[in-house]
Amino acid sequence: MARLIRTEKEVEGRYTEQWVVVEEDAAIDQWPAGPRQTVGQPAPRVDGPERARGQAIFTADVALPGMLHAAVLRSPFARARVKQLDLSRARESKWVLGVIGPDDCHVLTSEPGFHGAPVAAVAAADPRRAREALALIDVEWEELEPLLDPEEAVRRKELHEDPRRYERGDVDAAFATADVVVEAEYRTQTVLHNSLETHQSVCRWEGDTLEVYISTQWIWGVRDDVAEALDLPKDRIRVICNYMGGGFGAKNGAHDQTFIAIALASQTGRPVRCALTRREENLATGNRNATIQRVRAGARSDGTLVALEGEFVNAVGWKGWSGPTYGPMEMLYGCENVRTLTYGAKLNLPPNAAFRAPGFVEGTFGLECLLDELAAQLELDPLELRTRNHADNDLVDGRPYSSKNLLECYRRAEPHWARRDEVRARSDGAWRRGVGLASQIWYGGGGPPSYAWVRVGGDGNAMVITAMQDIGTGTRTAMAQIAAEELGLPLERVRVSLGDSSRGPYASISAGSSTTPSMGPAVRSAAADAARQIVEIAAQRYHLEERVLSLRDGRVVSADGGSWPLEEVTGLLEDGQILGKGARGPNPTGMQVLTFGIQVADVAVDIETGEIRVERIAAIHDVGRVINPLGAQSQVEGGIIQGVGHTLSEERLVDPATGFVLTQSLDAYKLPTIADVPEIVVDLIDIPDEHLTNLGSKGLGEPPIVPTAAAIVNAIRDATGADVRSLPVSREEMLRALAEAREREKARGAPAAV
Amino acid sequence: MALELRINGTSYEIEAPVGQTLAETLRGPLGLTGTKIACGEGHCGACTVQLDGVPVLSCITLVHTVGEREVTTIEGLHDHPLVDAFVRADALQCGFCTPGQIVSAAALVEAEPAPTPERIRHAMAGNLCRCGTYPRIEEAIQTWRD
Amino acid sequence: MELRQPSSLEELNGASNNLLLAGGTDLVPLLRDGLVEAEVLVDIRAVVPRGIDGTKIGAGTTLAELEGDPEIPAVLREACALAASPQLRSMGTIGGNLLQATRCWYWRLDFPCFLHGGSRCHAREGAHREHAIFGNERCASAHPSDPAAALVALGARIRTSRRELGVDELYRLPTEDDRDVTALEPGEVILELDVPQPEASTYLKAMDRARWAFPLVGVAAARSADGVRLALAGVAPIPWRIESEADLDKATPLPGTAYKVELARPLIRRALEAVG
Repeated sequence: MARLIRTEKEVEGRYTEQWVVVEEDAAIDQWPAGPRQTVGQPAPRVDGPERARGQAIFTADVALPGMLHAAVLRSPFARARVKQLDLSRARESKWVLGVIGPDDCHVLTSEPGFHGAPVAAVAAADPRRAREALALIDVEWEELEPLLDPEEAVRRKELHEDPRRYERGDVDAAFATADVVVEAEYRTQTVLHNSLETHQSVCRWEGDTLEVYISTQWIWGVRDDVAEALDLPKDRIRVICNYMGGGFGAKNGAHDQTFIAIALASQTGRPVRCALTRREENLATGNRNATIQRVRAGARSDGTLVALEGEFVNAVGWKGWSGPTYGPMEMLYGCENVRTLTYGAKLNLPPNAAFRAPGFVEGTFGLECLLDELAAQLELDPLELRTRNHADNDLVDGRPYSSKNLLECYRRAEPHWARRDEVRARSDGAWRRGVGLASQIWYGGGGPPSYAWVRVGGDGNAMVITAMQDIGTGTRTAMAQIAAEELGLPLERVRVSLGDSSRGPYASISAGSSTTPSMGPAVRSAAADAARQIVEIAAQRYHLEERVLSLRDGRVVSADGGSWPLEEVTGLLEDGQILGKGARGPNPTGMQVLTFGIQVADVAVDIETGEIRVERIAAIHDVGRVINPLGAQSQVEGGIIQGVGHTLSEERLVDPATGFVLTQSLDAYKLPTIADVPEIVVDLIDIPDEHLTNLGSKGLGEPPIVPTAAAIVNAIRDATGADVRSLPVSREEMLRALAEAREREKARGAPAAV
Repeated sequence: MALELRINGTSYEIEAPVGQTLAETLRGPLGLTGTKIACGEGHCGACTVQLDGVPVLSCITLVHTVGEREVTTIEGLHDHPLVDAFVRADALQCGFCTPGQIVSAAALVEAEPAPTPERIRHAMAGNLCRCGTYPRIEEAIQTWRD
Repeated sequence: MELRQPSSLEELNGASNNLLLAGGTDLVPLLRDGLVEAEVLVDIRAVVPRGIDGTKIGAGTTLAELEGDPEIPAVLREACALAASPQLRSMGTIGGNLLQATRCWYWRLDFPCFLHGGSRCHAREGAHREHAIFGNERCASAHPSDPAAALVALGARIRTSRRELGVDELYRLPTEDDRDVTALEPGEVILELDVPQPEASTYLKAMDRARWAFPLVGVAAARSADGVRLALAGVAPIPWRIESEADLDKATPLPGTAYKVELARPLIRRALEAVG
């Protein structure tokens, strides 16, 4: 039965309330904890072979007959006004079929607010000709003084929204009672997503329907963005993304390239591809914005946190949103008195975009490094300090957690943490070794609406149909596993059809660690619906009661020992099909659904050259039931490796005077290579959240990147005594911190540790 | 300017302007889209193909300079045991860098069937993976003959 | 654009608006970006020797070939192994490597800087953490070649299509009148290197990641009967010779490159220790 409910929806920490109709069958109980026939077993990804062999067709590979290629003229200035834009020479070029400017497309601007803002675009049959034709666009620029300093923006009140203020308890009074107070300023840099497939779209009109092939994390979000901006009926827009080359938060909507392609397709009557180059990608598609964090913690001598305070400046850029850098400080610990103040500075820099646990990655770096500074002052074990301040209830609004196994994570971290004496003892000459840890909190509960269908044919094979997308996280495989488990089928008899808004029901965004917890329960529900119908058919065919029948190992099994191959039952229908449908139910009311974890890092630092090697990271995370341990391990490793890049080598640099982005290419912007990767030990708690859906699974995409930077930097302090307070920990930052530590030791008259 | 290319054991005759890269040729007129372009300037390795068994960057190789060298693309490694090894080890996530990874890895194991982790890290450092599949890639290359 | 593929040196001579192409790893991207232009592209691979014969190294030998040859002096082998990425080492020739352009982002992004013929160095006032600490008054770009520093330390010599010269003589700081950093004339081709065997040698490199990055500081040291020669990569617009660690006191770092002086000290000490 359809149920209309009012429910809270959370994506990456942003909540909205909405009506949803859900049809989840309340009778479906969660499976008992632990691995099952298929769910909980390691499964190589079902689309692995076609991706590995280069047969998977990404948006980058879509070539439609008659397709044109767009090239985009972008502002070379961080702030400027287009005084005159003359498109006539471009229009007259024999190679150019379409030309658009700000009057033709709403994402093109004549008042660019950042280097890389799109101003005009052309279309030609050949991508090279299109690029060359940009030189035929005549622009008279008026260059304006850019605002680049986030602190200056705060002073000038150039903000994206009013400053966000939060307070609970009496912070000033609590600080007054603290035995120890530590405070510090932490800074994080701007980092770039750099998914290997750049932002790109191919758009074509087919009759009155607009087809959009796009590299996206949310085909339905693209549909809604396009419908809203162009005032089109939603069902006239078809969005397709079958294989997708990475997003990490930067591909949650239609984005500029889609609107440019649509405008040129409308103008030329031809399909148009608008694909960003790597350099454009690193200018205009988003970033994890830089932050400045002035943080303070007060504790009693027994380690009880009495007060936390933070002022956070998010260097948001020209567009974007001020992320929850404050989140970890408000949510991670059972501290009664917390005050935060957060600014989102509006700057003449490229817009930010969600990037794998936005805000929390940055905020956890500041908070968890501060906690270690506090532990040092208190002469208290950092793991003990965290255990003592465990939050038993959510202190932001007093709600209980739907499930929380953070203390179990801490317990499992002990053997990794206990290695620190042995690790330190392996210090050798200039190479000093140490161990650090950091705790993690983040969202990841997913939510409705999300729908799935399961189709079982006469051959007894199943097809999961839903218009979601697999952005590389392995959700295609996880959905197949869930359906296979429910249908009692081996995994190879279940296939998944996704990636096309015309060929499946509405599905969740693949962001905010929400795909599996949103889609998984809908798929299970649809599979259960199909299974129920199969049992009903078998009961009639074999004159048995439905309650004695179940599906197992590809057979319909009777309690009295009889069994029939599934295809014998479904084969009765010949070409007829059994169609199951399912929907995602609501999240538990009155509860906080969150993910937790801890990471322990071993590092080695050459105290003369400042070289840092991360040697090992142990990651223990509590994300509810694990569907595919193999894919889950890969997610954790991937998050940590991005975290290592964030910590050590990645930084977007701009010219300090003009705001011109300097690190556009991948020689200058340094992603980790295979040679930079530590040994990674993954340990997932794998206890289903008993309150959350028919699966008890939470999301896993984001949690693993959250604590990595703080764990590494705490390990650096453990190894060297140096206070690193700024990311990335480049050679210059490491050498600076080492020199500062030496000075400090000298001033104390203590023998130099480093 | 016309030229002949030998790719995965087959000869192709094509017409291309001077300046066109091997990657553009493979992906465009030849439709061999397994070779990906992710940076287009020789920094990331997604476009890796072999020329006479040597891994090179097809996005910065001018097609007219290929000459008589045999081009091996991911399509030519369709049945290479590394494909299965990568899938088994879960050495791919989004898969956009994976064809290039496998082309590099195939050259490595051809030269050294049992490379040490150090050798793997040295030989594979030019193939960037943003999803972070590196530990799995290392495992796939160590277990490719299993 | 036209492509010529000569089979003899004689065919090389001709118009000065020719670009010589070997491995193409630097030149092809520069062409694409419009930082170099040419009517005629000359593929010189058929006329430049390739391979190793005693102390003679053909300029067309790739970095990968040098990296893997045990007869090559350690400093050059190690510099090649730590240079660029595996694919770039398989494509790039040692001759081309010596002639590669700086990675200075202002230069690569076509700012009208001193090196491009303009009046000022944008890096000096701008973002310059990868830039020079020596010879940086007019142009603060850093020379990116690891093998070049190794060859300077080894005292290697070059035979071109016109003359013989030391590798150190190949480089010159850009001046008001000539913004080039090499002494090579238009159309002149590096054909062969003569690389003496040192008694001991080593290359140490500091970079932003474990592999595939240009040097923040590279230190090449080679000991021969005449003593130890040191050369640095990544610290000046050209490979930079120093006599000893004490020469670091003469550095003229920018605010953002001061760390390179401190970084170079232990590397030099270690390199000297390693070569004895």
